[in-house]
Amino acid sequence: MKIMTFVKHVPTQAVTPRIAERRVHIEEEGLSYEVNEADLYAVEEAIAQRTALEGSVVAVTIGPARAKEALTVAYAKGCDNGIHVLDETFRGTNPVLNIHAAAQIARTQEPAMILTGIQAEDDLQGQFGIALAELLGFPVVTAVTGISVDPVTKVATVVRELGAGIKEEIEVDLPCVLTVQFGIRQLRYLPIMSIFKMRSRPVETIAVADLALPPAAMLADVRMQVLELSYPDDGGNCQLIDGSPDAAARTLMSKLVDAGVL
Amino acid sequence: MAGSDVIIVCEAGKGQTESANARLIIVGLELAERWGGRLLCLLAGDEMAAKAADIAPFAAEVWVAELGAQPYNSYAHLAAVRLMADEIRPGAILFGHTFMGMDLAPRLGAALGVVTVANCLSIAVADDAVHVVRPMYRGRILAKLALTARPIVATLQPGGVEPAAAGRQGIVKTVTVPANANPKVRPRRTIEPERTGIDIGKAGIVVAGGRGIGERENFTLVDKLAEALGGVPACSRPLVDMGWFGTNYQVGLSGNTVKPKLYVACGISGAVEHLHGMKESETIVVINKDPDAPIFKVAHYGLVGDLNEIMPALIKEAKTAKSAKSCSA
Repeated sequence: MKIMTFVKHVPTQAVTPRIAERRVHIEEEGLSYEVNEADLYAVEEAIAQRTALEGSVVAVTIGPARAKEALTVAYAKGCDNGIHVLDETFRGTNPVLNIHAAAQIARTQEPAMILTGIQAEDDLQGQFGIALAELLGFPVVTAVTGISVDPVTKVATVVRELGAGIKEEIEVDLPCVLTVQFGIRQLRYLPIMSIFKMRSRPVETIAVADLALPPAAMLADVRMQVLELSYPDDGGNCQLIDGSPDAAARTLMSKLVDAGVL
Repeated sequence: MAGSDVIIVCEAGKGQTESANARLIIVGLELAERWGGRLLCLLAGDEMAAKAADIAPFAAEVWVAELGAQPYNSYAHLAAVRLMADEIRPGAILFGHTFMGMDLAPRLGAALGVVTVANCLSIAVADDAVHVVRPMYRGRILAKLALTARPIVATLQPGGVEPAAAGRQGIVKTVTVPANANPKVRPRRTIEPERTGIDIGKAGIVVAGGRGIGERENFTLVDKLAEALGGVPACSRPLVDMGWFGTNYQVGLSGNTVKPKLYVACGISGAVEHLHGMKESETIVVINKDPDAPIFKVAHYGLVGDLNEIMPALIKEAKTAKSAKSCSA
């Protein structure tokens, strides 16, 4: 059974990206990148399912040259094949282009199951897997926390989150798209050497221009234009308490007592 | 005029939030007024009559799609929204940024061939476009976007004020959607959460630890601070994902929504989904080594530094403060 998964190369979570001078995009220079965390859960699940069911996992990334590193991580996790859709124009940030490009790749690869992360940490849109399924005409189940596939009947029984701790069990026919929730299984630690070793492993690179995408795929930046990026202000509500840990702790407690909170 | 009405997709199911509906009504009314259109509401699920009566004073029409035995079926919900969108031809279809909204809005956007805009903080008419503000980069940056195509499909972050009482009496009507909207997807059962131990949703003081705690054994600092303050310990999603705790301990969209008089967030960066579950707490204290962590934006008091140094000091001072209070009482 072939499983397809997508890995997005996004700025590292731990830092606030600098806003570029024109204020409509971030400054890429000096920024470090990593695989989108939600996608790592999809990769882990894909590898586990592949191990149980036999078959292969193909990982796909869409982005500029640096995004190839995401496939290196996917290889180190155990993915069998890597495809890099090279997008130097939008650098992986055009949601409509991403969905159309992904659909084209899926049509040639014909996976039985597509596992995507639930959300990308950079755009926080959470629509990639769902819109991809719509485009392919595949059923999709979102926020999945458990997957059990019957390869004979070609049916997956999945559990998904409904919020507030409530879950639902659903049967879905293959081929399907499942958007994988954080924590579906533990992320395995990757020794840095295992990633280094995979850097020389070849990936298939396809330029966006060679995908023959429909004109609609390029429209997103016209219909949804970034006017300005800014850092959120703190609303003026947060009093920062300085000083040594002891002094700060004392100040905080007396403020809480004075305010009647304690 | 076609394209000037606004449809809000409200919720009444288990675990759904009232604040999502309130936000939809406020923003939806504003958009409809600016466009000279009407506000219409869709409610899909089971036993929606009471909720429909609550919303009718704000909307011109409330459409109720009773889904009976399959109240969560995404495809049945989608069929209901599409039915309504096809007939009304609205300028915008708005959802709460809840599990349902996150699931449905992109399905609808894809079906209508428009980009979904998730997680909006504000939506406002500006000349020929609509401007939305939404977080990006884990909430570290806000983006202001201009949307030029209608209909707009968006999810809105819940929260904020309740809509002012409205004297309208909207028409409530029932619509029928096919029972089996997509035979390839078959809901089987709903799994209720385990309710064991303390209900953190009812606690007056909640001390929550997040990924910044580091090692498992460091969580004893959270336990001890909770004890010293007379509150309960809780956690954010990553600690549940790592298998340390069950969702009954979790604060956030997937777990519990809490509104205690004091919420202390220790080593929690403040993903949107976490803020959803705690931002309405009366007083919020944040302890984090990263001064840029988005959670400081909702904090009342902030301490920037190493948890391993600050928390022992807080535990000591909390004990002193509490004992002083019990002596004076």
